[in-house]
Order: sequence, then C-alpha cells, then structure tokens
Amino acid sequence: MDNDLMETEQRHSVAELEDLAFELRSKLLQLCGTYEGAVHIGGDLSSADIFTALFHYGLHVDPDDISNPTRDRFLLSKGHAAVCMYIAMSMRGFFSYEGIVDTYGLLDSAYGMHPCKVQLPGVEASTGSLGHGLPIAVGMALSARHRGETHRVVCLLGDGETGEGSVWEAAMAARSNELGNLVAFVDRNRQLMTSFDGERVVLEPYPDKWAAFGWNVIQVNGHDMGELVSAIDRFPATDSNRPTVIICDTVKGKGVDFMEANLAWHAGSLNPTDLARALAALESGRTHSSAAEKETV
Amino acid sequence: MPVTFTFGEMLSARSVIGTTLAELGETHENLWVLTPDIGATLVEFRDKYPDRFVDVGLAEQVCVGIAAGLAYDGNIPVVSGMLPFLSMRALEQIRTDVCYPNLPVKIIGTHGGLVGNGGSTHYAVEDLALMCALTNMTVTSIGDPAMVGEILRQSMSMTGPLYIRLAVGKSDKVLYEPGQHDIRIGKGIVAREGSDVTIFTHGTVVAQALEAAESLAEDGRSVRVVDMFTLKPIDADLVVQCAEETGGRFVVVEDHLAYGGLASRIADVVVDRGIHLTAFERLGIPQVYAGFGGDEELRDKHGYGLTATIAATRRAIAAKP
Ligand SMILES: Cc1ncc(C[n+]2csc(CCOP(=O)(O)OP(=O)(O)O)c2C)c(N)n1
Repeated sequence: MDNDLMETEQRHSVAELEDLAFELRSKLLQLCGTYEGAVHIGGDLSSADIFTALFHYGLHVDPDDISNPTRDRFLLSKGHAAVCMYIAMSMRGFFSYEGIVDTYGLLDSAYGMHPCKVQLPGVEASTGSLGHGLPIAVGMALSARHRGETHRVVCLLGDGETGEGSVWEAAMAARSNELGNLVAFVDRNRQLMTSFDGERVVLEPYPDKWAAFGWNVIQVNGHDMGELVSAIDRFPATDSNRPTVIICDTVKGKGVDFMEANLAWHAGSLNPTDLARALAALESGRTHSSAAEKETV
Repeated sequence: MPVTFTFGEMLSARSVIGTTLAELGETHENLWVLTPDIGATLVEFRDKYPDRFVDVGLAEQVCVGIAAGLAYDGNIPVVSGMLPFLSMRALEQIRTDVCYPNLPVKIIGTHGGLVGNGGSTHYAVEDLALMCALTNMTVTSIGDPAMVGEILRQSMSMTGPLYIRLAVGKSDKVLYEPGQHDIRIGKGIVAREGSDVTIFTHGTVVAQALEAAESLAEDGRSVRVVDMFTLKPIDADLVVQCAEETGGRFVVVEDHLAYGGLASRIADVVVDRGIHLTAFERLGIPQVYAGFGGDEELRDKHGYGLTATIAATRRAIAAKP
C-alpha cells in the first residue's frame, strides 16, 4: 500500500521551518505567562525544533483525517512536553491555539500537563510516565508491518528518560523484530530534572549504547533545522530491517538565555516582567543567528 | 537548620523530609537516601552525606532494588520520589526485593491522590490498595506536614518495610499542636472528639474533614474525626471503640479509590469484628481516570470534597438504627 498522504503534502523550506519554530517558541512562552501553574518550559524549548521539523516536514499526517490508517504515528514518550506538542499540532491545523491557551490545565480541559488520547483525539497515546512511549511504538510498528502498511512510527524521548530499563527492553525488541519502520528521536539536552548528565547519572557513551542494541544511529544538532531536515530525508525505507535513532544535541531552555542549561527551569511559570524578558531574549537570539548566517553566506 | 512550625500555619512536608533526613543521617550512620531524579528537597542530606546519597536518574525499579541490596547489608535506606511511579513501576521490586525478605526499606513520596494537576499518569490513586496487599508492609498516609518528621524518626527502629504517602507536600496546614497527640505508627489519632458520628480519613483530606466537623458543630452536631494515618496495620480497636461511642455511624473520606483504601480496611474490621453499623458512607475517587483540574475542583467533581463530606455526614447522622 502506498502512503497516500505523501502526495497531498507540500513540504516547507528550512527557512520557513525556522520561522515556524520561532512562532512555536513565542506561543509557548505566552502560554507560560498566562497559565498560573508550572509549565515544563525547559524541555519544551529543547524539543521545539524537533516538533517543528516533524509536524511541518517529516510526518505524513492529516489534521482533517486523524484516523487515516496510513498516517505516520507520532508518540510523545517525554509526555511532559505535551504543551509544546499541542501548539506544534495547532500550527499544523489539528487544534486551535486559542483553545489551548484558554483552557490549558483547567478543570475538564482536553489540554493537560500530559497528553491523554481519550480526552484529546489526534494525539496517538496517553503518556507522561516516562519510559512508556517506545514500547508502545514498537507495538504500533509491529502492527503496521503485519498489515503491510508503509507508514512510520516516530517516538520522541528525553535523554534522562532513557535511564528507564523499559526503553532498552523496547530497543532490543525493535531490533529483534527488524522494525525499520520505527524511528526514535532523543532530545539529548544533557539534563535530567535535578542534575546534569555526568554529575550523578552518566549517559555517555550515548550513541554507542544505541548502536550496541543494533540501531542505526544518526547524530544531529537538534537546533539546526537543516540538519534535522536532512536526517528526516535519510530515514531508511520502512521495509528495511533496522530501527533508527536520531540523537538530537539540544540545549534545555533553548532560545531564552536565562533558562538555558539552568536546572531551575525544568518547569516554571513566567510573571509579566519575566515573560517580557523571555520574549526579548528569544527575539534577540533570532536576530543574532540570522545576522551570523548572512555573514557566513 | 531544623524546620520550625506553628499550629495552624502552612508548612512544606518536603522541607520537613529534607531536614529530618539530614538530622537522622547524623545519628544513624547506616542511613542512606536514594531517589530516581526527584531529589530537589534532599539537598541538605546530599551535601552532608554525599557517600550515602544515590540518585539513579529515571529508574525507579533499580532505585528500589539498590535499596534492598543496601538493606540486606545492614543499612537503612529511604527511597524518596513520586508515588505513582514508585508504587507501580517498582511494585515488584517493593514486593519481592523488599517485602519478601522483610527489609527495613522506607518508601516515601508525593502525589498521593488527585493532586498536582498532572493527570492520571501522575496521580497515585491505587497505591494504598497495592501497598496494603503486600505482606510485611506498613502503610501510612500523612496529612499533617509536621508529622512527617516524627514518623521518619520512629521508622528508624522498624525492622520491616514502610510506605509513607504524601500529597503534593509543598504547603499544607499544620493540624496538630506539638505534643497534643500521641503520634505512633499503628495508632489512629482522634483529631477531634465527637459523639454523633465518626469521620475516618487520612492524608490531605484530614483538614477537609476537620472543616466539615467544624461547620456541622455550628448546627449542634458532634462529629468525631479520626486521622487513620496508618492504614496497615489498622487500629482495629479504635474502629470498635468509635462504633460504640458514635452510634455505629461511620463516614470515610479519602483521596484514593473509594474501594481498596481506608474504607475497605475499615469495612474489613467491621466484618471481622462483627460490628453492627447504623451508617457507612464511603467517599473517595470513583473508578474513573480523573482528568485535569485543581485539587479541590477534582475532589468536588468526583464527590468527596467539603460539601459532599458535610452532606454524607448529615446522612449518617440522620440514618435510622
Ligand atoms: C516514570 C517517571 N518518573 C519520574 C517522572 C517525573 N519527571 C518528569 S520529567 C523528569 C525529567 C526528565 O528528563 P528528560 O527525559 O531528560 O526530559 P527533558 O530534560 O527533555 O525535559 C522527571 C524525573 C515521570 N514523569 N515519569
């Protein structure tokens, strides 16, 4: 069966994707400024470029046909980045951004701190307890294989999350079942909730771990849209026999200087002054990077 | 710096855990503290005793397994984390590695009940049922933030495993005056005297039950409130005594599934001891995945908030013998 969603989609350029990622980050910060409780802003910002590359370039999905059997499946294993996924999906046409901002975290809202498939059809799985997404993704990939379907199953994990044994049990199962239709993205921001990688938990040699489990390993700068796009372009054929992991080097809190690589910003909220500071920081980071680009051209 | 606290004021149970463990680390050289990346409030212990602090990262199962290994070797390990993940991901480690050999491992954590607005992945609502099922396990659920320190101190001489359940633990009201009650694991606390009906409760909703009793007192009702903070072993004698002294009228309110927690433990005592009751009102979480919302909103939505507690207590008082 051909993936009929592929033909209907137009793919964005790298520059357009960069603009979308900027918009995603701005919207995230706005929400963090309006919502009273804490938002997992650090891990949202580190994943923002990955979400953008997936929802606006890599994934064959149709917001108007969320149960199309040929759609790619996206599973957010690091479920605490739910709000970043909701907004990325809203920008792709799945949900309304206003609906998210107006109800996030409130009683009976579909948009909660962690995604719930029952309350929010369009997300593929209920997650939030870390270490669950990849095993479920293996099940979905096995099912697609069995049915002769050619879509991919894509799963986003946190690097801290990969401390869970279930991740490696799933990695082994994926290799054993030769699931070339499975792709894992790891947001390698080198921070857990309460420590930096290497302080108390040593994750390195990280790519070697995945390679030792028999996976294709691709390493990219997770904030370089060109590299993310080319990794997506290099996804192996879905009927190949090895699962692929894209290890994305990222910075937790990326784009907002006072949040970057700062343990205090795993989760937090922004008062009006801090929101203004955060938006200004985001804006100035953008001007700098486009200026730097012009210089190198 | 010991945490100082005053009756009626707000206090963070997490900070009490942090300072108490740091204090106990001094007197108990075999005390270890372990966490699966939930160590923010354990900093004082970590800084004082870095050699006896283990943060395994995101790995609840191995955290409990390591604690068992330490305990086999004569140490007293305290595992601190988030209860939905400790009580479910590491359930078999708790049961087989800790309870089966009856080791003095303490599991302490937050997110017991519909608290914190994380959704059903982040609410421990089945944990007391699971823990009470385990042979050798002592099970507690604590609402008064100041009490946590006392329980941890008492637990140092326990020879078997202990489970300590807290809500979010960031800011709760201090319920008891220092020295007002004899706080002992296994003994219920009569938090308020009364003769018309007994409300049995534990954890965060103790404060709510006391509020309900206060409001009913304005109507001349005499409501006893029992903080049954130890669910296992249950204080069966106190249950019998309350049946005799409050007309066989019981209300149970808890932030846990209505079936499987304290209400079920008390119902077992009622049946096993042949108690004749006039009323038994059971308030807790129904068999649903509760969704998002504030703590109080969720309690109201699911029928065990303040208004529901007052209504159920009135029903129990009005019941015909
Ligand atoms: C099983 C489980 N244990 C603990 C938590 C609490 N928690 C949420 S996020 C987090 C840190 C996750 O680190 P990482 O996977 O690296 O995510 P990121 O840094 O990208 O936010 C922890 C401990 C959880 N959600 N699930």
